Amino acid sequence: MTGVELRDVSFRYPTSAGNVLKSVTLQCRPGQITWLYGPFGAGASTVLLLAAGLAPRHTGGTMTGAVSVLGHPLDAAGLSPLLGQIGFVTATPHLQMSGIAATVWEEVAFAPANLGWPLARIEQAVEDAMTALGVAHLAGREPDTLSGGELQRTVIASMAVLEPAVWLLDEPTTALDAAGQTDAYRMFRRAARDGATVVVASEQADALADVVDRLIVLRDGEVVLDGDPMSLLAGDDIWEGGPGSTSVAGLCRDASRHVDSPRLAMPYPVTIAHALERWG
Amino acid sequence: MALAISMLAFLLPGPRGPLLLYAVTLVAMPIAGVGRAIRQGLFICLPLWFFLFLLHGVLGGGPTFGVGPFALSRDGAELALTQAGRFGAIITVSLGFYHSFDASRFLNAAAAKRWPLHLSYLFVATLHAVPAFLARTASILEAQRARGLRFGGGPVARARAVLPLTLPLILGALAEVDERTHALDMRGVASTRLRTPLMAPKDSVLDRVVRWLLWLTVGAAVVWRMVG
Repeated sequence: MTGVELRDVSFRYPTSAGNVLKSVTLQCRPGQITWLYGPFGAGASTVLLLAAGLAPRHTGGTMTGAVSVLGHPLDAAGLSPLLGQIGFVTATPHLQMSGIAATVWEEVAFAPANLGWPLARIEQAVEDAMTALGVAHLAGREPDTLSGGELQRTVIASMAVLEPAVWLLDEPTTALDAAGQTDAYRMFRRAARDGATVVVASEQADALADVVDRLIVLRDGEVVLDGDPMSLLAGDDIWEGGPGSTSVAGLCRDASRHVDSPRLAMPYPVTIAHALERWG
Repeated sequence: MALAISMLAFLLPGPRGPLLLYAVTLVAMPIAGVGRAIRQGLFICLPLWFFLFLLHGVLGGGPTFGVGPFALSRDGAELALTQAGRFGAIITVSLGFYHSFDASRFLNAAAAKRWPLHLSYLFVATLHAVPAFLARTASILEAQRARGLRFGGGPVARARAVLPLTLPLILGALAEVDERTHALDMRGVASTRLRTPLMAPKDSVLDRVVRWLLWLTVGAAVVWRMVG
């Protein structure tokens, strides 16, 4: 079964001049972290909104084609059959808080309580999620007093508590420091290993290059590249019309224009480890 | 209590009824730990009271009575006292309710009573909109000040400053609504299942007795007004 599938999907927002997605067909499989990558406005976030069942239901707009999640077509019935099975995280943690929880513990417990889980199950799941995201020590704090990074960890924990089968992540770690990013991606990796479908839309190539299993590059609402992340990031195609690759690959590519050396030739090193391997 | 007192303020005959209710709220607020509602209530009520007495007491017609050098309308003064008591009681008890309201406790209590989540959340979100809007206003004010916009000066300068303040306030709030809706939707706020109460607050016998007494009083006042 496919985790997330878009078949020939075109979409336009009520305010956009044209289609922001143009005949997009893609499949994101369980057990993998799929990275949607593209320059600003390429349509990666829109893919997530469609897969979450939020577009066009909440955003308005017109969609053609078909979207299905875990085999369920997302139609007029909306999310009801999938409630609690999709974890959706964006880069604005303060807007994803419930706004009514008195403590971080209650914030994390908000979704399972809404879904009517038994209290004992909620308590265990909250403890597990908070420990995984390193926010167990914040359990008694008021959410309003958290820093940006703590808020983002709490938001991710608030979704992790549901153990969703599909993770839809839109720039999920921009508010996090390096340690926070490591914790978060470790948790997403673990979720994928346990069979979840993880889809990340992000421009943070340096953070994601060696985390993801598959890379889909979008430009102007179309899928232009799809394949192994290391191969694509090490090539030249990813630079044509954006979004570019990691800083290590970018440095090497720039240098290769000034120095004619086989040590700088394609495939470019993508990470520092690759660069050390080649030049070390 | 806030609802019952607000209803009683209009059901009980003036000026004694509303004044008595206002006295009750003055006693109840400190007991409930929200004494500041009295001070804030006075801040709102004092100008209202002044104009009520000016309008009804000083400018009112009918028989008069003397207070120092002033001759006040007897009927007007009674009406002013009645309205003053109503305003005082309703405004103070509403502020007390606002300050003592705990969203999380309310949601848990509502879940324990098996109220539908979307209804209780709507109620909570409405109350929360005010402080959220005020906080947003303050941050936009600071941001615009940092960009050199002046909010002081004469009426023209103040009027000019309204647009750069209100436009980002309204547009930002609308944009936020979208994203909040997305997040809450994914977290099951629209779920039709019954919410699990996380820590349902105790509903003591005393709480229940006070609540029932208040509603009995409201009921009795309604009957008395209809019959009497």
